[in-house]
Amino acid sequence: MRFTRLQASILSTLLVPFASAQANEMNPDISVVLDGYYKQNATALSHRDEGFGLGHTELSLSAPIDDLFAGRLTAVLEEHHGETEVALEEAYLQTTGMPWNLSVRGGRFLSQVGYLNSRHMHEDNFVERPAAYRALLGSHYFDDGLRVNLLMPTAFFWQIGAEAFNGNRLTEGDEDIGVYTVNTRFGGDIGVSQSWQAGLSYLNNRQVHGDHDGDHDHDHDHGDHDHSHAAAYTGENLYIADLVWKWSPDGNTRQQQLTLSGEYLYADELNEHARSSDYHQGWYTSAVYRFTPQWSVGARYGRVDLKEAHGDHFHDQQLKETDVMLAWSRSHFSTLRLQYTHQSAHGFDNADNTVTLQYVMTFGAHGAHDF
Amino acid sequence: MISKPNSLTWLFGWLLAFASMPASANLNVFACEPEWASLVLALLPDANITAATTAWQDPHYIEARPSLIAAMRKADLAVCTGASLEAGWLPSLISRAANRKIQPGSDGLFFAADHAPLHQSREHVDRSMGDVHPEGDPHLHLSPDAIPRVVDALAKRLASLAPEQATAIQQRYIRWRGDWNQERQRWRVAAQRLEGTGVVTQHSTFDYLLRWLNVNVVADLEPKPGLPPSSRHLRDVLATPSISDASVILVASYQDDRPATWLSNQSGIPKVVLPGTVTGEPGQQTLQEVIGLIIEALLAHQRVEHVD
Repeated sequence: MRFTRLQASILSTLLVPFASAQANEMNPDISVVLDGYYKQNATALSHRDEGFGLGHTELSLSAPIDDLFAGRLTAVLEEHHGETEVALEEAYLQTTGMPWNLSVRGGRFLSQVGYLNSRHMHEDNFVERPAAYRALLGSHYFDDGLRVNLLMPTAFFWQIGAEAFNGNRLTEGDEDIGVYTVNTRFGGDIGVSQSWQAGLSYLNNRQVHGDHDGDHDHDHDHGDHDHSHAAAYTGENLYIADLVWKWSPDGNTRQQQLTLSGEYLYADELNEHARSSDYHQGWYTSAVYRFTPQWSVGARYGRVDLKEAHGDHFHDQQLKETDVMLAWSRSHFSTLRLQYTHQSAHGFDNADNTVTLQYVMTFGAHGAHDF
Repeated sequence: MISKPNSLTWLFGWLLAFASMPASANLNVFACEPEWASLVLALLPDANITAATTAWQDPHYIEARPSLIAAMRKADLAVCTGASLEAGWLPSLISRAANRKIQPGSDGLFFAADHAPLHQSREHVDRSMGDVHPEGDPHLHLSPDAIPRVVDALAKRLASLAPEQATAIQQRYIRWRGDWNQERQRWRVAAQRLEGTGVVTQHSTFDYLLRWLNVNVVADLEPKPGLPPSSRHLRDVLATPSISDASVILVASYQDDRPATWLSNQSGIPKVVLPGTVTGEPGQQTLQEVIGLIIEALLAHQRVEHVD
């Protein structure tokens, strides 16, 4: 997805109607996310190069289309080794008028597997997604497809959903429908100060057993990222369990908020040579405490155990990662973040420790405070 | 029913809704803020009302959490402030709940700010001015003149959604309006005594009422709307000559009162923490009671000033 020449014209066209802050009948909501950083050292399985760089610069438009449909378009500009890539991350329509709390989404969108995957990267509390996400989902898996979600008629929150995707953005292949997912989420409040959500997801990748193994073996030369954002490690079955718990005194998230979250990812049936003992596995757990409206601290530990395919056998790889971060938000719309990342690895040449300084700035329409 | 939406209340509410479904299902109402819950309660007492926030929560910064999605899922009507107050969470809730009754432009979504003129609406806004809303100041729930207009429109909306109760709703509205007008007479008398009084505030939470009472806001503890008070700004406020005109520092219950405490200690101006809206506690269950409470606090501190 490289439309570098179109970039200027896309931007100029999109930026013209910037007068309105809210979507009205003529103008969509427009929001821009600026993400830039300085990273001291290159790290394993990373999507950010060392030195000064731009991260996930995002331009998003959304609006109701009519009384039955709403739409969203998100273009992402990323810089890799001096080349600017424009990628279409979201281009979808969503129904708003279906009965029984059903909703259908079609087009290109972020898969809802796991907790982090459906969230935009700029909402994250750390500079990069956990290593398990970077290895198994290419940080965030989005693709062309269709989603159906249903909210169950229960007192607590219970959602079930299924997605079908082209699949080529996870693994190249010839199937018309390369990826299926099913997902369920529960959640609620515990008193007034605490709330929680738990989710289970399954992703079926039907293109793992293809004649395309070569793509990946050549691409991921020991963990250095390729630009396609496809996941470097895949399996026919990917299972994810996630749990999030948040606490604020009196439920007043403005003043203070403690967020604990964790996910476990497991992938098997890696390719036609895989035995039952060959599987990828990863997890992370993170704690973030916003102790005043403007300051937050966080720590995250995660590890991922991977099998790197070499013809008919696998080599073990392991990456353990510890992150600590301090973030300051002047307003609701600006964040500066200082993060220290410690990596220890087996089977990765480029694991290192690094300090990263990052900014994330948003302007235009007000972003969503999702749970 | 204005209590915080804990899981037990919900379970109970759901069981109640389920049990009464075959006969005539009561209207499920989702109120973004507790003041709207209290008004719906006054007009339609048998509605199942869920208030998404409490007087201890800043309504700008709520998250679209699972419990709120579940409440929005079954709502027949959502009553919110509008004017971008809930811009950070309501659109997400509406989208996640996929409830076709509650969609922008539909009868199931009622915005109070659509039914009354707002202060400080502006042609041009940008975020260097702070978190200002182009539509105007959304904190209209303590406005003695705006609320009757909102309740008038709310009564009509409720009547259209529960036509079998239309007459009763209209009667309750007329009674509510009579009470409000009577109270407003009393507030007007107080306003004459309060004219020219100065106060220090934090955010525009009380501004509609203060303007109506002819009370002057001499300083705001927030350097810009939505930004938390900084120590430099507090020192500037302390150095403002007009600070001596302030008889009280007003803080809403959901706000951090440490900046106000500091200013109070430095300046000798008393600090008062007041409910920013109805709390469900005795004497704070209706907007009339809360407005009465705020006026009493202002008068009390004014009396102290006169004694001095």
